[in-house]
Amino acid sequence: MGFSLRDCQPRHTGVAMCLGLILSGSGALGQTVEDLRRDLQAMKAQLQQLQEKMKQQENLIEKLSAQAGGPAAAAAPGTTMPPAGAAPEVAAPSSAPAPEQEQLERRVTENILRKIQPTLSAATRTFPSQFNPALSLALDTVGSYKENRGANFEFRSAELGLFASVDPFARGYAYFNGTNSGVEVEEAAIVTTSLPYNLTAKGGRFFADFGRLSKWHDHDLPFVDRPTVLDKFVGGESQADGVEVNYLTPLQQYVTLTLGAYNKIGADNRQTDNATGRPFSQFTYLVRPSTFINLTDANGIDLGGALAYTPKVETFAFDTGVQAGNGAARYLGGLDLTYRYTPLSQALYRKFIWGTEVLYNSEDWNVEDTTTPAFRRADAFGLYSYVEARLARRYGSGFLFDYEQALNRQSGDTTTYSPYFSIWFSEYQRLRLQYTYLTEPGDHESQFFVQWTGVLGSHAHGFRDR
Amino acid sequence: MPRIIRFLVIVAAWLGGLPAQAKITVVATIPDLAEFARRIGGDAVEVTSLATGVENIHSVPMKPSFAVLLNRADMVVLLGLEAEHAFLPALLEASRNPRIQRDTPGYIDCSKYVTVLDVPTRIDRALGDLHPMGNPHYNLDPVAMKAAAQAIAEGFARNHPEHESTFQTNVSALQADLDAQVARWTRKAAPLKGKTLVSYHPDFIYFADRFGMNVFGTIEIRAGIDPTPGYTEELIERMRRAKVDFVVRELYYPATLAETIAQQTGARLLETANMVGGVPAAKDYVGLIDYNLQLFLMALQSRP
Repeated sequence: MGFSLRDCQPRHTGVAMCLGLILSGSGALGQTVEDLRRDLQAMKAQLQQLQEKMKQQENLIEKLSAQAGGPAAAAAPGTTMPPAGAAPEVAAPSSAPAPEQEQLERRVTENILRKIQPTLSAATRTFPSQFNPALSLALDTVGSYKENRGANFEFRSAELGLFASVDPFARGYAYFNGTNSGVEVEEAAIVTTSLPYNLTAKGGRFFADFGRLSKWHDHDLPFVDRPTVLDKFVGGESQADGVEVNYLTPLQQYVTLTLGAYNKIGADNRQTDNATGRPFSQFTYLVRPSTFINLTDANGIDLGGALAYTPKVETFAFDTGVQAGNGAARYLGGLDLTYRYTPLSQALYRKFIWGTEVLYNSEDWNVEDTTTPAFRRADAFGLYSYVEARLARRYGSGFLFDYEQALNRQSGDTTTYSPYFSIWFSEYQRLRLQYTYLTEPGDHESQFFVQWTGVLGSHAHGFRDR
Repeated sequence: MPRIIRFLVIVAAWLGGLPAQAKITVVATIPDLAEFARRIGGDAVEVTSLATGVENIHSVPMKPSFAVLLNRADMVVLLGLEAEHAFLPALLEASRNPRIQRDTPGYIDCSKYVTVLDVPTRIDRALGDLHPMGNPHYNLDPVAMKAAAQAIAEGFARNHPEHESTFQTNVSALQADLDAQVARWTRKAAPLKGKTLVSYHPDFIYFADRFGMNVFGTIEIRAGIDPTPGYTEELIERMRRAKVDFVVRELYYPATLAETIAQQTGARLLETANMVGGVPAAKDYVGLIDYNLQLFLMALQSRP
């Protein structure tokens, strides 16, 4: 087991240039943002002063009401007046107020609203940057020592995320990932937000809805590296260019169904080139049902299955010259189960999770050489399983077991055993220590990892990565 | 309508599990708001709470079953001020319910009329896990909850104007009840005026402000950041010098550290509930405030 292996794919220099433009413009933008922050803070301070004035006015109304002998009709301390433009509303008094009191209240209210109106208008004035997407940046770096390969500092990823609404009907997001190999568009997709019948459609480049951990970004994984069964069977992250539709069924039980069509699934999948056209029979089609079983308030199980079907895999070659594909179909199936125990009153401090995925791949492989190819169907099986316990708010430990057969069944099996320990300095910064014992055909190796991850900027708790 | 279409509509309604005379479905994020929503909505509404009351609002689990509840909801009622940022935004997205997305009519943000305390003047993660719009834990201030009730009534009326008069009558009754309780609590809490407290997390400032107490600090270094031994030592020293009266441990934070700090400073330790349902005695909102006030008063009378 080693780091996520990324073949050198053609990198889009245009993306790097765009990123450069964004970052080089950040000086001017940052200055504008600073000014805007200062203005906002000044407005907040003014608003607070005005709120105090309003409190004094309300106390005056109460006093005057008491002197007039009518019931106290003003809103009690701790409430604010409705914003300008809305009809001022106060709690209904227990008996009808005297007309003079009503007039007094109205005059005071109008006076206050007149005074705060300019500030309120300023606060709601739009700035050009207000429609800019939210930004986040995840930094992931790993130090490793592998018994047979030596030590290395690996700059794993600087992943820039952007998210925003497109319009009332869709939202968009993108992740640009800078690694040792260059910069690439990891995800960039548009997702509908208002289709009827509980439907959601997604199009662009995204992580296809296959399994569980294939859809997670590297830095979000529960361990240092993606399980090798996912690297080998799926092709790392389930990155796919295509379209996907998801349906939340109208049942009381949470059940969803995903259907997808893509060029291919897997960032490291060499079967198809995203840049060239192909017949529909060479696309990959996905179906995935999933459900959640709420055992108790503190215990739940996520369960899912997936089948990625490629009707025709044309012949292609790996860098090593090994050929695969002869126009026969490929079936990649998976079952995923995640059990969670989260005691409700201790959720920050105690958690237990067991996650497992079992994968099955069936496709034709060339078991001879390029001059005299001989294709044979190979059925391969693999799985990973991990348990993780949160021992305290900032510490957790776990164990990962990973096993896979060779996809072409021409070599032996690979197994890894990985205990790991994570320290969260805060929700946004994590240190992880991991030991891996790798057994692969003809080799075994001890590996040590230290991973340091930090997230800057806008932060959203995602449903996909829970 | 052709017979076959009518049949399919009936089947679709059956599959959706909707009764023939459907009530207005409301999902509240915490039991305190759920109780208010029930009182204001009366028989017209059916209300569910996502939290049970024992949770830390910052770690309510993001269960897919909640997405189903929200998918069916006509309205969602929340504290706002990013109190529910750890679970609600993702659940709203997963619910695919356009009626209750952020800033739609069905999205009832109860902080609308609340005078927010502790609004940060600088937004920077170096200052911890800040709430950029101010401290959201106003559910412990009954006067702020009066304002929340107003926002709920308004939100209900906005979505269902046919019941507006019912909602207005009910919210007036609720606010009158709260006024009476606030008067009683204010008299009862008189001995607490001027007392100081340290809480684990900065979630007691509204309660303290309402009943005349002062918040000396928190056991967390910053909001959301657990204390280091060095910080704890320094805090103990400052608390001794200032003769802080109370250490407040919210029930979902660890007991040992709070106990140690109380022992070493001479402050009285209280273990509070922060939501309705947090302890059996806090079975409704009045019970919640009564429970917490009683804790403070009993601690004041006890030996340190």
